[in-house]
Amino acid sequence: MAKNLKTTSVGSFPKPPQLMAARARYRRHEITQEQLQQAEDEATRQVIALQEELGIDIFVHGEMERGDMVAYFAENWQGFSESLPVRSYGNRYYHKPIVEGPVALGKAAGLTVAAWQKAAAMTSHPVKGMLTGPYTICDWSFNAYYPDRRSLVLDLARLVHDEALALEQAGAQYIQIDEPALSTRPEELDLAIEAMAIVTRGLKAKTISHVCYGDFDTILPGLFDLPVDQLDLEAANQNFALLDLLARHPWPKNKELALGVVDVHTHRIESVDEVKAGIRRALEIIPLDNLLIDPDCGLKTRTWEEAEEKLRVMARAVQAVREEEGLE
Amino acid sequence: MKTTMMGSYPKIPAGPGPSVRTAIQRFEKGQLSAQQLYNTYQLVVKRVVDLAADANLDRTTDGQTRWYDLFDPVVRDLDNVHSAGLLRLFDNNFYFRHPVITGRLQYQGGTLAAWSQEAVSSSRIPVTVVLPGLFTFLALAEDQNYHSADTLLSDLIDVMHLTVRHLESTGIAEVQWDEPALARYGGRWPQDTVHDAYRALLGPAGTTALDQSLALYWGPSSSWVDVLTDLPFSRLSFDAISDPAILSRLSADALPTEVGLGLLDARSVRMEDPEALAAVLRPILAAQGPDRVWVHPSCGLEFLPPDRAALKVRLLQDLKALING
Repeated sequence: MAKNLKTTSVGSFPKPPQLMAARARYRRHEITQEQLQQAEDEATRQVIALQEELGIDIFVHGEMERGDMVAYFAENWQGFSESLPVRSYGNRYYHKPIVEGPVALGKAAGLTVAAWQKAAAMTSHPVKGMLTGPYTICDWSFNAYYPDRRSLVLDLARLVHDEALALEQAGAQYIQIDEPALSTRPEELDLAIEAMAIVTRGLKAKTISHVCYGDFDTILPGLFDLPVDQLDLEAANQNFALLDLLARHPWPKNKELALGVVDVHTHRIESVDEVKAGIRRALEIIPLDNLLIDPDCGLKTRTWEEAEEKLRVMARAVQAVREEEGLE
Repeated sequence: MKTTMMGSYPKIPAGPGPSVRTAIQRFEKGQLSAQQLYNTYQLVVKRVVDLAADANLDRTTDGQTRWYDLFDPVVRDLDNVHSAGLLRLFDNNFYFRHPVITGRLQYQGGTLAAWSQEAVSSSRIPVTVVLPGLFTFLALAEDQNYHSADTLLSDLIDVMHLTVRHLESTGIAEVQWDEPALARYGGRWPQDTVHDAYRALLGPAGTTALDQSLALYWGPSSSWVDVLTDLPFSRLSFDAISDPAILSRLSADALPTEVGLGLLDARSVRMEDPEALAAVLRPILAAQGPDRVWVHPSCGLEFLPPDRAALKVRLLQDLKALING
């Protein structure tokens, strides 16, 4: 693993065509759950192999078993029902969960462990355990049961904490708790921080939170108080304007930044030079030891070929900066 | 009391029926022709306007069925603006392509007028077209050209004025200016600036045959009441879900414009009780006058799944029957 400018990914990878076909066949009851899982495992092998080939440092398992980052937990935990699809952008839709009763793990305790274990067994690189944060699960669900958002968020925080503990006990050295909704309501930042403190309480694994697509100006520097070791933020989507915001505040010494350097919502493949320029701008304000490099967000919105090419550009850009700076 | 849609509506059906989502997927796989995709859009627009008419609404939109987001047709109709990366739309798990301004704004027109004519030809009730308000456009667009908010605002007023002029020939009844940014970021612009900008955009009363309304939602709006009421808006719409304080204001003071009330939460699957809504509404009807109050969802209904969105529209029907008899 590189010592400087470690590379990683945010979470999801596009599902290869074979897995898409298997999921469709499973919905039509043409294959068994075991056969679907075999297809998911094969797709995970492809995700791991690609990261090996590109020299990525900290791996993800690609979330081949998940449809949507919130719905996946809602489908398996108690207290939720599933809505008809709701559009999130373009022609992308998701089944927005409906909270209809008290949320609980039920029989799904340790839900994310098996997929993590399978991926971890495929590589010697560390693989991140991937969770969705309580604030985002609340925000991206319809609440038809709890009297207020706070009580739902805090109940969810206890569930996510149990899941994080299960991942840590299974051996995960990195646990990522995604909170993309956190940047939407500055008035609730304290609630999100309180909930994350419940989630990460007592964990020894390195904790990460991915936050994206929001008005960061309204939540900085308060975001630095989120009790995780690493913040993972998108920058390429707005031509690295985020760095101008970050430059207004001293970067906290005890926090890492994983910086998104390729836009996951465009077909265009960035050039190595523009990614290098973004990394160099980041190095002007973030200490080298605190900086990691990754895509803006999960890659599932891209085709497999686009995701591969974007990661390849990212890896080349990082390698070039390492060599030019004598960082190897 | 009158009722209306507010903007977007789900592009997919609650059950069997034409679906924009499926049609686009099949088109991208080469399984549908461009004509078949076009036909699907028409059928979905028809479904939306029929739903509104069947629910006895007084006005409807086309559900923004062809729109990628609120800015889409405006960006298509302007030169020197393009849609760029996705950004979150305020506090929603919904993302829009933010407009990037790369040169002086020019109006070319064509797209929105064509879409509007199509809605009018399909609808049995008058059609409203929703446009991004001046300050919501300024808040969410990226300016790479003007570097002067005043100059940009002045040109934006000009091209939006041309947009309205072009829409006059389409048969629509109303242009609704959506201003969530004014509700959300109220203190960002001086009130005089907002007032004068809309004064310039609307011109003197009678400038256009179209009704022009303004909708504030997703934040507190009470502070804008006094700023906007002397302008020739046909209606000022407020979101009583995010700003319940507006209810007492509207129960106490009669406004010179007609009033729109977002009483139905367009971002919650919980169904409101018509009797409870009527109880909230009656003092406002008494203060404003029964024929000067519109009731509508708090914002566009596309944030809901299609079954719940349809129930909210039918709730408007029930509420109207309860109030009007």
